[in-house]
Amino acid sequence: MGQTHEVRTQKDDVPIRDEDVDREFKYEVAGHFGGEGLLRCLKCGACSGGCPVGAVTDYRPRKVLGNVLLGLKDLVLSSDDIWMCAACFTCEERCVQEVNFTDVVTILRNMAVREGHASQGYLDMARTVSQHGRVTPVTHSVQRMREKLGLPELQEPDMEELTKILSAAGFDKILAIYTGRDMSE
Amino acid sequence: MKMAIAWGCLVPSRRSLLGYEAATRKVLDHLGVEIVDIPNETCCAPFWMQSLDITTSLALAARNLAKAEQMGLDLLTPCSGCFHSYKRVNHTMKKYPGVKERIQDILRSAGLRYDGTVEARHLVDFLYTDIGMDVIKSKMVRNLDGIELGLRYGCHMLKPHELLNIEYSERPTFADEIIEGVGATSKQYIGRHRCCGGLLRGTDDDLADDVLKERLVDANEADLDSLVTVCSLCHIQHDMGQRIIKNKYGIEDLDIPVLHYPQVLALAFGFSPKEIGLQQHTVSTSKLVAKLKMTAKEGGEA
Repeated sequence: MGQTHEVRTQKDDVPIRDEDVDREFKYEVAGHFGGEGLLRCLKCGACSGGCPVGAVTDYRPRKVLGNVLLGLKDLVLSSDDIWMCAACFTCEERCVQEVNFTDVVTILRNMAVREGHASQGYLDMARTVSQHGRVTPVTHSVQRMREKLGLPELQEPDMEELTKILSAAGFDKILAIYTGRDMSE
Repeated sequence: MKMAIAWGCLVPSRRSLLGYEAATRKVLDHLGVEIVDIPNETCCAPFWMQSLDITTSLALAARNLAKAEQMGLDLLTPCSGCFHSYKRVNHTMKKYPGVKERIQDILRSAGLRYDGTVEARHLVDFLYTDIGMDVIKSKMVRNLDGIELGLRYGCHMLKPHELLNIEYSERPTFADEIIEGVGATSKQYIGRHRCCGGLLRGTDDDLADDVLKERLVDANEADLDSLVTVCSLCHIQHDMGQRIIKNKYGIEDLDIPVLHYPQVLALAFGFSPKEIGLQQHTVSTSKLVAKLKMTAKEGGEA
């Protein structure tokens, strides 16, 4: 002791302010299918303890859950954190409260996508699928390798069915949010 | 026994994954399982697509299930990502009638119908549960005695177990039993059940590298003849990603071949390394092949 610490008194230093809080946010998330478990979260941290991404970064699933429960909607939806989950489902497997964090992250990502915060990598994959029906288009050299291995010729994906599904699901409108936007910069 | 089969996007179209398809076809044929490819299969829209829009993802996955339902067959897949997608469709349709209705509406607009009657099965679980160790052993031609393998179950075949209903994921044993059953040693090592970071490829490559590096360092310390992966993403990470990790982090002695799970069985069933695509892998499998004491006729040059 005996040391003097700078005392934090400025209002600006308060990490969370009323105007940042959306009290309805957690109910909005919990209202989506798969999100029901959110309100059961005890913030015990078992999710963070088993997280393989947390092992190499300061990403913590518990922090994401905490921020959602606090109602920090804008912060959560615009943050990179929700895109750092590798979907290994370890937290979901271990959670005693069956919060299903991975499903909660899916809901948060879906919301963020509608606000223009989609991951560029995932968008690129979705565009490839919407154009080719598969995430990796088949090249001539792959066709030759398949022949050499005695594998049957690959059937073309049914683009007519796929296009109708994407359109009926409203996915066109989601992709349209990002049309002409070069996010690789 | 007859099953519909969905291969997924990656398995039939990436150089180092073609051996997964080749070995699966050979193994199932050897075991007398008849398979019918899903006609004009489209992407199962796995977790990355769920991240963009879960409803679109479910409807796309349901498209391939609808084709299996039309044929009156259950749906087998070697791809853990596909397996996860198909299981999620059935689970969601059962648990949320409103979502079921929405998925069926979307399918109807594409002239399709899915009532949720198709069981999705993972290849490895199918081999263990429906074929069984006794039959597998009776079909063995070559004992893999002396080969030390590091098996990675991967995440999406097992987790969460309440959705996938195979085995609790923390200490699974069934896939090890098959490997041990054909004579090889399935080595336990630290980190073999941990995520490879595969789904971070494309969103954050540096992060995907950092996670993968941990896995490869663990595997390297285990002194394996080969890793064995079940999941396509695990293979892409550990096999194709190995050189990147070796150079980026300066791990000089990193050189671990990575087999696809059914390739182990195919070798035990007497197929040559060449016909199951071992020469297609990014990390050379030649040391492993030499250890299998192949005769030249069996294609030891792979």
